[in-house]
Amino acid sequence: MATHRSRALWSRVMRSCRLPGFRSSWPRGPLGARHLSQEKQATETHFGFETVSEEEKGGKVYHVFESVAKKYDVMNDMMSFGIHRIWKDLLLSKMHPFPGTQLLDVAGGTGDIAFRFLNYVHEQHKGKQKRQLRAQQNLSWEEIAKKYQSEEDPLGGSRVVVCDINKEMLKIGKQKARAQGHKAGLAWVLGDAEELPFDDDKFDVYTIAFGIRNVTHIDQALQEAHRVLKPGGRFLCLEFSQVNNPLISRLYDLYSFQVIPVLGEVIAGDWKSYQYLVESIRQFPSQEEFKEMIEDAGFEKVTYESLTSGIVAIHSGFKL
Amino acid sequence: MWSGPWVPPRFAAGRDVPLRGVRHGAAGLLYPGHIPTSPLQKALLAAGSAGMALYNPYRHDMVAVLGETTGLRALKVLRDQMRKDPEGAEILQKRPRISLSTLDLDKLRSLPEGSLGQEYLCFLDVNRVSPDTRAPTRFVDDEELAYVIQRYREIHDMLHTLLGMPTNILGEIVVKWFEAVQTGLPMCILGALFGPIRLSAQSLQVLVSELIPWAIQNGRRAPCVLNLYYERRWEQPLRALREELGITDPPTVHVRGLA
Repeated sequence: MATHRSRALWSRVMRSCRLPGFRSSWPRGPLGARHLSQEKQATETHFGFETVSEEEKGGKVYHVFESVAKKYDVMNDMMSFGIHRIWKDLLLSKMHPFPGTQLLDVAGGTGDIAFRFLNYVHEQHKGKQKRQLRAQQNLSWEEIAKKYQSEEDPLGGSRVVVCDINKEMLKIGKQKARAQGHKAGLAWVLGDAEELPFDDDKFDVYTIAFGIRNVTHIDQALQEAHRVLKPGGRFLCLEFSQVNNPLISRLYDLYSFQVIPVLGEVIAGDWKSYQYLVESIRQFPSQEEFKEMIEDAGFEKVTYESLTSGIVAIHSGFKL
Repeated sequence: MWSGPWVPPRFAAGRDVPLRGVRHGAAGLLYPGHIPTSPLQKALLAAGSAGMALYNPYRHDMVAVLGETTGLRALKVLRDQMRKDPEGAEILQKRPRISLSTLDLDKLRSLPEGSLGQEYLCFLDVNRVSPDTRAPTRFVDDEELAYVIQRYREIHDMLHTLLGMPTNILGEIVVKWFEAVQTGLPMCILGALFGPIRLSAQSLQVLVSELIPWAIQNGRRAPCVLNLYYERRWEQPLRALREELGITDPPTVHVRGLA
């Protein structure tokens, strides 16, 4: 465990050196070299294409999501032409949860993954019950009556905890849950991905969809993910990634930078938040780099699958 | 930054500012709040804001965005007009701003009745509006022109006072017609043409038969209203100012009762 942590710390230092705008803050000369070793770790990071201090970044990201919360789902549909729904469905089918799974959905604010999970296990549970019934053809009337009376959990013991650092996003999520009729098996927790308010070895699956990009210390979030998962537990991350096709990459860049902030301004009255969004996508590591970061946190059998030419990728790892 | 002694603009007015796409940084920002945009983005913004403003008339920010993205030519003409007029040139130099923080409300309240200052305050009170709800300019890529459109926005309430129009939809349309004739801004022209879409037949009839012709007439006759240093004219009686500009009394219809 110690080797994992120190490896993660070292890779973080190496990675932070590659940040744009960062080189300018390194002092030069022999005096500067002494500064390097005495100073604490790098205190600057990126906020989109801006360089900000690490303390600032958390607050700025909070402010972004506070202002986009109300229009979050509408904008997702507009920006991705509804394709984000397919991506999230694919994440669930990859997860393939069975009734009884304990899921932690981090940065899950408005509940898209959580609701899909609940629907999925509900369907699974119904399927299981049907199969059971079919196998028991010769039931007496008493046994049938008992089956109807027993208040069996429709989710078969599954539970999902939605954890998010932003109160506004959680508020929207709770409203949606009420509107869609999700009640059982759902919990909402205000928490920081870098310091989760849960005990060790608690969950079967940990998901983070379009959230880890906004975390200031990604490696810490990964370590926390490792900590709260049970042995045998699975880490799944759905996130924007690097496009592999150069032509599509050009079109994607054009669309991202020319159209998306305009959409943000017209629909949500907020240019800057969506400018941050498209810039933060460019700052996130590539599929391979992120895979290495996940391995550094202690996960094994780490794989990734690129979707839509690499616009998004699903990374998966196991705590063994 | 704009209220106070004259600050020379960083770029010579009239020179085309190189547009850097959307990668913003400290360089490329001409004024606080400036968002540099490419021609494609401006086109998309203009189309999007026009559509959204029609769809949801409460999105005043969309009307502002439409004005900024489509007004370049008209703003240049306005700016040149201001330069030629001595009072207008002074405004361009001194860059006065109208907001609750720059207005001396007590002084205005103490002015005699019928003066511009008094009438303006009265207008703000009766209609329950404040000069602080004007959005700052963002998408104009020239610092001086950004001020011109900001000034145009901030004197909008003055125009209401001058024309004696309330802030209901009918009053706003009348002022828009006046502004369209005066400024030639595409946003004003579009607002003037499409504003009446949601009106009742009765209001429409009054608008077309009496109010619009009156607004056009006065708009043509009056000199450029951006050339008035309103902040120096608080004591001037409103009636005298109207005479100076050639603005006649509004037609005798109950504009407030309609719409």
